Amino acid sequence: MWEHKLADALLEAGTDAGAYVPDARLRKVVSRLAEQLPLRCLTREEECVAYACGHAAAGGRPVVLMQCSGLGNALNAIGSLLIPYRIGVPLVISMRGTLGEGNPSQVPMGRATVPILNALGVQTFSVRDAAAAEGVAKGIARLAYDARSPAAAILEPELGSQRDAA
Amino acid sequence: MNSVEATVAVLAAAPEALYVASLGTATSALREASDDGPHFYFGGAMGCALGCALGVAERSPERDVICLLGDGELLMSAGSLWSLAGLAPPNLLAIVLDNSAYAITGGQPTVTDGRFARAAAALDSLASAEASTPTDTSARVADTPRPGLIQANVTLDGPLAPDPFVNPDWVLTRFEAACGVPARPDSTPRSP
Repeated sequence: MWEHKLADALLEAGTDAGAYVPDARLRKVVSRLAEQLPLRCLTREEECVAYACGHAAAGGRPVVLMQCSGLGNALNAIGSLLIPYRIGVPLVISMRGTLGEGNPSQVPMGRATVPILNALGVQTFSVRDAAAAEGVAKGIARLAYDARSPAAAILEPELGSQRDAA
Repeated sequence: MNSVEATVAVLAAAPEALYVASLGTATSALREASDDGPHFYFGGAMGCALGCALGVAERSPERDVICLLGDGELLMSAGSLWSLAGLAPPNLLAIVLDNSAYAITGGQPTVTDGRFARAAAALDSLASAEASTPTDTSARVADTPRPGLIQANVTLDGPLAPDPFVNPDWVLTRFEAACGVPARPDSTPRSP
């Protein structure tokens, strides 16, 4: 399944910790990662990015996972800490508010997620199936850990498993 | 006790710790008190310092880690107190330099007294203490169990000095070395 492909690729890239705010589509990614490394469920997406920045500055290879509706909560940490301090942390962002969305409150952030990340200089790579999950996870890990460039995997609705998915 | 005197007292009690300092008062005070020691100074990202210190502490369990926070900083991310209590790293101490104001923007008062020591005391796994003199501050840093929080009551200083707007490359390169992280080929420590 795509969740294991994505998680296993991160683990193979040396990811050794993580922080997240829960999301239905992320559930099996989180449980797979948590079998192998400390994965912290924190209070806010911004705190997850800050936690990862501290972990990475101390020599770790953390990952951050969130739903796109929480990206707004994380922009202060991404724009004023992660990017200017050139700390390499891969981001895994589960999309709401795009194809098939029924909740109007999710739509604006869903529409804006990729443009906001790109405006900040965070490269984004869509994941729609298991094959892409492995390659994108491997690629964002290399960008973040080796090139110290911020990069995000965008988990698209085609992957299913969102809370209200048909 | 001003913020620099409080920070000098903290450093005297925990000279070997890894330090994370939030934007503004905490960064300026730690730069002054430690003569620009190799600490994680925040030049922005208000509200993110305690989360960052949690990551440092969990990655460096063998090191004592101290997070210096402004009171406005902690009000912006008070949820991190619950994360501190929940993760309960046995090597992390948060110290709030509480001047009841936003010093970096001119001393505007915060919305209410933080009561940070009392808030921390309400959380099961956190030790809590309060200090209003340098002697008490050193003593509380020495005897407060980790994880814990110390509310250091400080006066509102004048304009912040040294500059709290630090060079991120300078900060990170030196902090990584303090953590024992091997230097990178592109490491170019410059001035603050």
